[in-house]
Amino acid sequence: MAASSVRTKHWTRVEYERLIDLGAFRPGERLELVGGAVVVREPQGGPHAAAVGLTEDALRQAFGVGWTVRTHSPIALDEDSEPEPDIAVVAGSRRDHRHVHPSRPVLIVEVADSSLEFDRREKASLYARAGIADYWILDLGGQVLEVYREPVAAPHSRYGHRYGATITLSAGDAVSPLSAPTVAVLVADLLP
Amino acid sequence: MREIVTSPVRTKRWTRLEYERLIDLGAFAPDERLELLGGQLVVREPQGRPHATGIRLVARALRVVFGPDWNIEAQLPVALDEESEPEPDIAVVPGSRRDHRRVHPSRPVLIVEVADSSLEFDRREKASLYARAGIADYWILSLGGQVLEVYREPVAAPHARYGHRYGVTITLSAGDAVSPLSAPTVAVLVADLLP
Repeated sequence: MAASSVRTKHWTRVEYERLIDLGAFRPGERLELVGGAVVVREPQGGPHAAAVGLTEDALRQAFGVGWTVRTHSPIALDEDSEPEPDIAVVAGSRRDHRHVHPSRPVLIVEVADSSLEFDRREKASLYARAGIADYWILDLGGQVLEVYREPVAAPHSRYGHRYGATITLSAGDAVSPLSAPTVAVLVADLLP
Repeated sequence: MREIVTSPVRTKRWTRLEYERLIDLGAFAPDERLELLGGQLVVREPQGRPHATGIRLVARALRVVFGPDWNIEAQLPVALDEESEPEPDIAVVPGSRRDHRRVHPSRPVLIVEVADSSLEFDRREKASLYARAGIADYWILSLGGQVLEVYREPVAAPHARYGHRYGVTITLSAGDAVSPLSAPTVAVLVADLLP
């Protein structure tokens, strides 16, 4: 279709948080703000929910005290993004973030079934732009864990950044989070 | 243009009631110019002088032919459907101005969009949206082409953007005249509408 001057409303994170405070959304709506767009999160199937739980358990064990493993909680990522990743690992205790959402998780994990392409292109570029050092996609269809690291500028990607290093790990492999380099997480423990 | 994305990810679709509530809550900046089209909040671009002049000329010509029992509204909200509240450049609605002080009018007898850069959008997206709502008479004044496109007879069309399109399109030049469907005895000169 021809280029056109039409564009949709671009929300800032401050506006989005105000919408939440005003009660603009329905209670059951699962939304996140991604690059100024209010995006609907699809309902989770059983495998997706199981994988989120398994990953949460494995990371809690790997990181131990001094870290919080959050599921489906908002991240104040940048001026026009407030995603709710499936898993985010942040430094400190849960009470540290009761007033403001954390902005710089040391690790973000998305569990992907139908969202795989979105997690690879849109979210990877968004997280790379925010400087998230360690981003994992648990691909339920492929039964692999994709590990993204080393965010770099990339003018042609969605948000101007991408990850320079990508490693794909199978069920027999293990991975050490960048922020917990002495522990090994077995990919088999994450897969439902 | 908003391409159809093949991924399952979708942006939030706002209902018209939600949108009106956002306005009541003061969620938008005072100078934001938006309209709700098929659940999406679309930004209205700033207008150039020819566009503004086109709106004034159309309003004046339609006021003359429709007379005092009709409102000729310029860029005011129309409660079109459950997920749309556009602000057409011109909408002709029956009755007095106070008839709509509590609810926006929903069924104009004529909608006119003055198009410069928005021509393709007005032809595809808005035509399909207005056809779906059963708007019987839709005109696009194309400033680039110096013509008036008249769209009539909305019909179902599964492949159109909103599942409907207009079955009849007539393109009129400056030397032509058109009678609105709701004012069939009068003639509007296209030359009187063009800036």
